[in-house]
Amino acid sequence: MTETLQDRSRRVADGEAPTGRRRRSAAARTHPGLWLFPLPALVLYAVFFAGPTIQAFQYSITDWDGFSAAFQNVGTSNFENIATNDDLFLGAATNNLKFLLVVVIAQTVLSLLLAVLLQRNSRSSTTLRALFFLPAILSSVSVAFVWKFMYDPNFGLINQVLGGIGLDGLKSSFLGNASTAIYWVALTQVWAHAGQLMVIFVAGLQQIPEELYESAALDGASQWQRFRFVTWPLIAPATAIVVAYTTIQSFKAFDLILGLGGNPPKGSLDILSTRIYTTFTNSRFGYAAAESIVFMAIIALVSLLQRRAVRLTQHGV
Amino acid sequence: MNKNTFGQPLSRRTALQLLGVGGAGAALTACAGPGSTAGATSAASAPATGKPTGAISFAHWRAEDKDVFAKLITAFQSATPDVTVRQDISPSNDYQSSALQRIRGGSVGDVFTAFRGAQFVDMVKAGVYSDMSKQAVVQQYEPSLITAGQQDGTQYGFPYQVVFNMPVTNEDIIGKATGGTPPKDWQSFLDLCDKLKSQGLVPIAWPGGDPGNAGQLFNSMVMNNAPSDDMCAKIESGEYKCTDDWFLTTLKQYQQLKPYFQPNSTGTAVEPCQQIFATKKAAMLATGSYHIAAIRALGATFPMNVISPITTSADKAKYEGIYNATFILGVNTHSQHQAAALAWLEFLSQPANAGEYANGTSQHVTVKGVEYTNPDLKALAPWLQKKTLLAPRFQFNNLDIRSAVEGACIAVVGGKSPDAAAADAQRVVDQQRSQ
Repeated sequence: MTETLQDRSRRVADGEAPTGRRRRSAAARTHPGLWLFPLPALVLYAVFFAGPTIQAFQYSITDWDGFSAAFQNVGTSNFENIATNDDLFLGAATNNLKFLLVVVIAQTVLSLLLAVLLQRNSRSSTTLRALFFLPAILSSVSVAFVWKFMYDPNFGLINQVLGGIGLDGLKSSFLGNASTAIYWVALTQVWAHAGQLMVIFVAGLQQIPEELYESAALDGASQWQRFRFVTWPLIAPATAIVVAYTTIQSFKAFDLILGLGGNPPKGSLDILSTRIYTTFTNSRFGYAAAESIVFMAIIALVSLLQRRAVRLTQHGV
Repeated sequence: MNKNTFGQPLSRRTALQLLGVGGAGAALTACAGPGSTAGATSAASAPATGKPTGAISFAHWRAEDKDVFAKLITAFQSATPDVTVRQDISPSNDYQSSALQRIRGGSVGDVFTAFRGAQFVDMVKAGVYSDMSKQAVVQQYEPSLITAGQQDGTQYGFPYQVVFNMPVTNEDIIGKATGGTPPKDWQSFLDLCDKLKSQGLVPIAWPGGDPGNAGQLFNSMVMNNAPSDDMCAKIESGEYKCTDDWFLTTLKQYQQLKPYFQPNSTGTAVEPCQQIFATKKAAMLATGSYHIAAIRALGATFPMNVISPITTSADKAKYEGIYNATFILGVNTHSQHQAAALAWLEFLSQPANAGEYANGTSQHVTVKGVEYTNPDLKALAPWLQKKTLLAPRFQFNNLDIRSAVEGACIAVVGGKSPDAAAADAQRVVDQQRSQ
């Protein structure tokens, strides 16, 4: 006997009990036709994500130059070189780590501070929130060009102001100083995105029931204690989002680096994403693919460690 | 049997099996080899001839030449009504990094250009340049200026522009300071810089924050110091080292130049340098003649020329300056309209049209018999006859090696000791060679 979908739906809706094991499993089973619905998404995923990822693994063990039909299988030597014989990759990873630390800490703290100060929906707060959010709607390339001229040692606003107030000794070459250049780029990144992340914190803060603050106040909690024991644990989800987003963003600050540092950037401004791009440009597709896989592993590891760190700090309060 | 209105049921197990088979198939396909999916390299052939028809793409990176090319295209289309030409322009950095992949697809760049050096070598290797050796158009060019478009005896492309990659001078200032006789050795050059500095000027505006432009000075600094003319190729091959005496001497000379650059020069981009120079605050702009048009656009009206620091004594100097032949025109082997592409290239190679390009963009060209009417080109024309070296920095085929070697010069200006900078650069060179 043929059972239609409508029959089965009616039977389930009427509360009819299945009569046997087969009937029970048939009722619980997803109708096979429904498998067709995710198919377009699966195809897109396979073609644009899974396929290229598999290919990246395949390229990573070759010396393919990106256009030749011929290539050599080099086994794990690309990975060995990355680990032991590549100052450029190591330098980029170190720069990326510095960039990441500065951006994650400064951006999280600044956006949280702004959110705490501007969480009320008064007219002035709303205006200020909009102002702080403004850089987020600019493209990274525009931000890079604006700041490139801010950092210019000769005509840039920062050195002009320092000179104007008699602090000539503090004038700097900014992006031209190899030991500090990456921090100046990090500062730009913080400026551009702190307002955007402030919005996430504001949303998190506005979810906290007012009663908790009132109880804490009745218990004699200071402003700091209220923040530490009420606000901080309850904005854990928002913090996790902000930190995870900032981390990924720090690894992918590609356009900002190229905008500020040129293409290819100097070693002092090179981060992992720009290093991989330069390797591709250098017609070393196999090696660049290996770098991409190491990059992927680093992002996964850092994200995992951060998740654990955020959990520990917020559970431990 | 459990059936429904969709017919035979597809169990979860079957669906997973199908997905597994599909995935394995995809993986096997991927294992077929990267080259096989990307189009094989083909040996260069001569472009097809016949009646020129169709819509062709002209791929290049000179956005500043767009209007001049547009005029030439209009004239070409009037003369060849069955052909239309579209300019596909990318910023030079993007062109350097992605043009090859786009052009070999054949959808853009029926006629295309390449930078001299690594990009040209890769494009020839990828088989996108047609063999132009036996085309009549070869006769339109100065033979000595198109060697950069050859490889293994085959003429693949035609370097169209001749530029002088050496410091541009404000002749009002430099002429007065030198009495019309440029310095012939290193000490005289330093004396000139000293004299300019004492007048409250920046002797040399150098864009140390822009590695691409900062590297142009490198050409002049090594041209007489190095033991051979193929010094950069030899650094890349391992025959020369950055720790060799001649390179250390070059780094020490960069150190000597530091006081004569604008303050904080390692952080200065090229645009502020142009501004300093155009407003007569600097006597020299250490990039190249290709910036003259941009400086004029900033309002500069003073006479300009070029100068190369002679880093040795006068008797040991082999070269007076640097030139580069670049913007290497070629016909794409993957083009569907090769006859039209060839017709456009031939049109550009006619002296009248090349002259219009040259005078409109303030750049000399490699085409024979061109009449230069632009005053800046006239001023620089004597350099076409002087003893100049083809810019050596483009001998590097590995861009990471080039960046490391040129980066050593920037690092020295930034305060690093020449020995340490040389050692760091050589370490990168060695690593790149061994990878």
